[in-house]
Amino acid sequence: MTEVDIYEVAQSNSGPFSFKNPNHKHPTRRVKATKQLIIDEQKYLKLNEDKLKSNSINYFTIESPPSLKPSKKYCDITGLKGNYKSPSSGIRYYNGEIYSIVKNMASGVDQQYLELRNANVVLK
Amino acid sequence: MAKRSSKDYRRTRSIKVIMSARDQELPKRKVYDLRDYTESTAAEKFDSNYAQGVPIGIDFGGSRIRAGLTSVQEPAHNYANLISKYRDRKLNKTLTYIGNDVFLDPSIKNQAKSPYDGSFITNWDYVETILDYTFNHIGVNSSGGVNNPIILTEKPAAPLLQRKNFYELLYETYNVPQVAIGIDSLFSYYQNNGVNGLVIGTGHEHTHVIPVLKGQGLLNETKRINWGGQQASNYLGSLLQLKYPYFPTKINNYQIDNLVKDYCYVSKNYEQELSTALDLDILEKTDIIAEAPFTEVIQQQKTEEELARQAEKRKESGRRLQEQAQQKRLEKLIQKEQEFEYYTNLKEKLSTLNKKLTQSTLKEEGFTGEDDFNKYIENLDKSLKKARKQDVGEDNGEDDQQPPSFPLVEIADEELNEEQIKEKRKQRLLKANYDARQRAKREKEEEKLRLLEEQKKDDEWRESNLNEWIQDRRLKLSKIFEARKERQKLKEALNDRKSHAAQIRMKNIASLASDENSTSGGGSSKRKRGAATIDKDPNDTFGANDDDWAIYRDIANVDDEEALEEEEANLVKIEKELLEYDPNFTIEDTLDAQYDWRKSITHLFLRGPRPFNSEDSHEQHQIHLNVERIRIPEVLFQPSIAGVDQAGIIEVGESILLNRLSGKGFSGDSYDALQDIFITGGQAHFQNFEERLFNEYKSFLPADSPLNVRTAQDPINDSWKGIAKWVKSGQAENAYLSKQDYEEMGADYIKEHNLGNVNVLEH
Repeated sequence: MTEVDIYEVAQSNSGPFSFKNPNHKHPTRRVKATKQLIIDEQKYLKLNEDKLKSNSINYFTIESPPSLKPSKKYCDITGLKGNYKSPSSGIRYYNGEIYSIVKNMASGVDQQYLELRNANVVLK
Repeated sequence: MAKRSSKDYRRTRSIKVIMSARDQELPKRKVYDLRDYTESTAAEKFDSNYAQGVPIGIDFGGSRIRAGLTSVQEPAHNYANLISKYRDRKLNKTLTYIGNDVFLDPSIKNQAKSPYDGSFITNWDYVETILDYTFNHIGVNSSGGVNNPIILTEKPAAPLLQRKNFYELLYETYNVPQVAIGIDSLFSYYQNNGVNGLVIGTGHEHTHVIPVLKGQGLLNETKRINWGGQQASNYLGSLLQLKYPYFPTKINNYQIDNLVKDYCYVSKNYEQELSTALDLDILEKTDIIAEAPFTEVIQQQKTEEELARQAEKRKESGRRLQEQAQQKRLEKLIQKEQEFEYYTNLKEKLSTLNKKLTQSTLKEEGFTGEDDFNKYIENLDKSLKKARKQDVGEDNGEDDQQPPSFPLVEIADEELNEEQIKEKRKQRLLKANYDARQRAKREKEEEKLRLLEEQKKDDEWRESNLNEWIQDRRLKLSKIFEARKERQKLKEALNDRKSHAAQIRMKNIASLASDENSTSGGGSSKRKRGAATIDKDPNDTFGANDDDWAIYRDIANVDDEEALEEEEANLVKIEKELLEYDPNFTIEDTLDAQYDWRKSITHLFLRGPRPFNSEDSHEQHQIHLNVERIRIPEVLFQPSIAGVDQAGIIEVGESILLNRLSGKGFSGDSYDALQDIFITGGQAHFQNFEERLFNEYKSFLPADSPLNVRTAQDPINDSWKGIAKWVKSGQAENAYLSKQDYEEMGADYIKEHNLGNVNVLEH
C-alpha cells in the first residue's frame, strides 16, 4: 500500500478556491446523456440555419463517408480469411474445423460475434 | 467457444504417452503478466512557479489531461481524465479524487468515472471539479478569478454546445480574461515543425485526417473516422471474452488497454501476414502469452499414513455400497426366478388342459391370450439371463465348500412346530439365494467359455488369413467412424426445424403421446413390475429388438453415454489390434494422432504453439494473443472489420490527396502535402505504423512521388508542447478571445487561427 495520506489529498480538492468567481451561479442542469447532446447540437444548428456559412463543416458533416471499396471478408472467430459464410447464422469462417464450432454455437453467441462487426439482428 | 469435451482429454492411451513425450522436448515459452493499472505512489504535486498573466495550456483529452504554465517546455501535469467520488464510511463524508490520485487506492479507483461519454463531455460538474483541481495544482492563487489566458484543445469540428459550456466555465466561473482554442493534432504538428502535410491524429474516441498547407489546417477537407483507442480496447475486450468464455477471472479494462499498448502492432502487409498467422513456426515468434494474476491453491501435503487411512476409508465405503447393490440385484434375481418358475409350472399345467380352460386360466392370471403369455415368459427368460450375468456377489471361497444343506425345506409344515416353521422359512430363503447364485455362476462360466472360443477362432483366422482379418477390422473401424459421423449429422439436422430428421422426431413424439393415452388404463400392476412388458396387441413386436428402445433416446435428443463409452472402448481395442498386427497401420493413423493439436486451428488460436494441459492452473489463467495483435490496429485501415461503415485512413488520405487538394499528387497542394504524412495521438505508438502507411500511400500515388511518413516525437505530449511553443512564438496573442468579445459574439464564436477550428455560423 502507499504511504500517502488519502484524506489529506481529498482535503486539498475540496476547496473553497480563491480563484473562482464568488458571484457566479451554476446553471441547473449540467449532466446530459450523449444522445441528448447529439439532438441538442442538431437542434442548435437547425435553429441557426440562416446564419450557417456556406460550405462550412460541423460535427456531423466531418464524418468520413462509407468506403467505396469492397470490404474484405474475415473469419469472425479467428480473424483469418473468411471465405465461407454459415447459411444459418451468417457468421464467416475460415475452414471446416471452425465451421464445426459455428454449427455448435450456443444460442446468442453467434449474435455476439456478429455484433462485433455490426451485423447482428437488432430487435426493436 | 471451442472447448473439446473433457472426455477427449481424459483419454488414456498408450499412443498419447508417446506423443506427449515428443511435446516435452519443446522449450518453454515466455509468459508475460497481464499488466494492470499503475498504482500511484505519491499524490499529484503542486507547482511553485505560478505567476499571473502567464498563459496556461490545457489539453483536455479523452483519456488524459496535460496541463501547466506555458513558460516551460513540458506539461507540468499529465494525468488520467478521471474523477472518483468515494464515500468514506468512517468519516461519513464523500471524498473526491482526480487524475492519477484515483490510483492511490483500489477502492477509490473502483469508483472512477470520466466526464466523457464517448466523444462528448456529458458531466460538466465533473469538468468543473477537474478544472478546480488543475488550477489548484498549477498553484493559481489570484483571487476572484484565474488571472491567466487559457489555451484549450478541442477536436476538429467540435460540437458548438460543448464549446459553449467550456466558455461558460472559463469566463464565468473562473473569470478568465482570455481564451484561445485550437486542435490538438495541429498543435502536435506545429510542435514537430510541420508546414505542409497530412496530419493523422489518432485519439481516444476518433481518428482525424487533416491536410495542412502553409501551416494552416484545412478544416473543410478534414475527415473523422469514428475509431480511437477506446474502441480498439473495447474491441479486444469483446474478442477475448468470446475467445475464452470460461476464463476464470475477469480481465479489467486497464489490463485490456495495456494489452493493446504492449502487444498490438500494425501489420506491414495484412493479407500476407494473416495467411500464415497461425502457422506453428510463426506462432513461435508472434504468439504472446499473458497470465492473469491468481492465488494458487497449494495442495496440503498429506503424510503417507493419512493418505493410506483415507484410501482405506474410501475403499471400505465403496465395498459397503457394492455389497448393498449386489444384495439388491440378488433379491431381484430371486424374485424373477420365482416368477419364472411359477409361470413355467403354469405352462406345463396348461398343456394338459383343454382350450377353454386354458383361456380362462390365462384370463385369471391377467393375460389376453396364449401369445401374450408366451411372449411374457420369453421376455422374462431373457431378462433373467441378463441379470445372471451381472455380479450378484458370489464369493470365491464358496467353490471349495460343500453345498450347504437345508434339511427343513423338504418337510411339510404340519410336521413342524412354530420355531421350526420360522427356521424353515429362513432356510427356504437361504436356499433360493444359494440356488440363484449357483445358476448365475454357471451362466457366467458359459459366457466366459464362449468368449474364449470366439477369441480362439479369431486368432486362428488371423493366423491363417491375415489380410482378410485386417480387412475385417478396418471395416469395423470405418463403421464406427461412420456411425459417429452419422450421429453428428443427425444432431446438426435436428437443429434445423425443417429437416427430415427433425420432422421424423416430431412424428415419433406425436405417436408415442397418443399411444400412452390409449394404453394407460390397461395392464395389471404385476406385469408392469418386471422389465418385460406385455402389450395388448399381440401383433405389436415393439421391444423384441433391443434397438427399438432407441426411439426414446432419439426423441429426447441426447447421447447415450453408455453406448458412447462402449463404442470408444471398442475403437481403442480395434486400433490396438491393428497397431499390433497390421504393418500398414501406424500411430499416425490412430484417432488420437488425427486430433493432433499441431493440426488444429482452434488449438493454435486458443493455446498457441504448445500442448494445453487443462489441469494446470497457470495455463488456465493464460490468454494467447496472436491474430489479435494485428487485427486490432488493422481497423484503422479497414474500419469495416469492426463494423464501422466508413472509409479508413488510407482511403480518406487517398481522396484528400488525389481529389480534394489540387494537383492529383503530381503538383500543387497535394504534391506539397504528400511529402509529410504525420502521425500523432494515442495510437501512433503501434509498431510499423509508418511503414504500412508508406506502402499503402505509395500504391495510390503517382510513381516517384516524394512521399514521406513520420511520427510525432512524443505523440502523447506534443499537443501540449505545441501550445507552449505557439505561445512563445507570439502567435497566440492574435488568437485570444477576450471576455468582452465573448459576451458580444455569442457562445459558439471562435477566433480563427491556423491551428484551430473555423466558425460554423456567421457573426
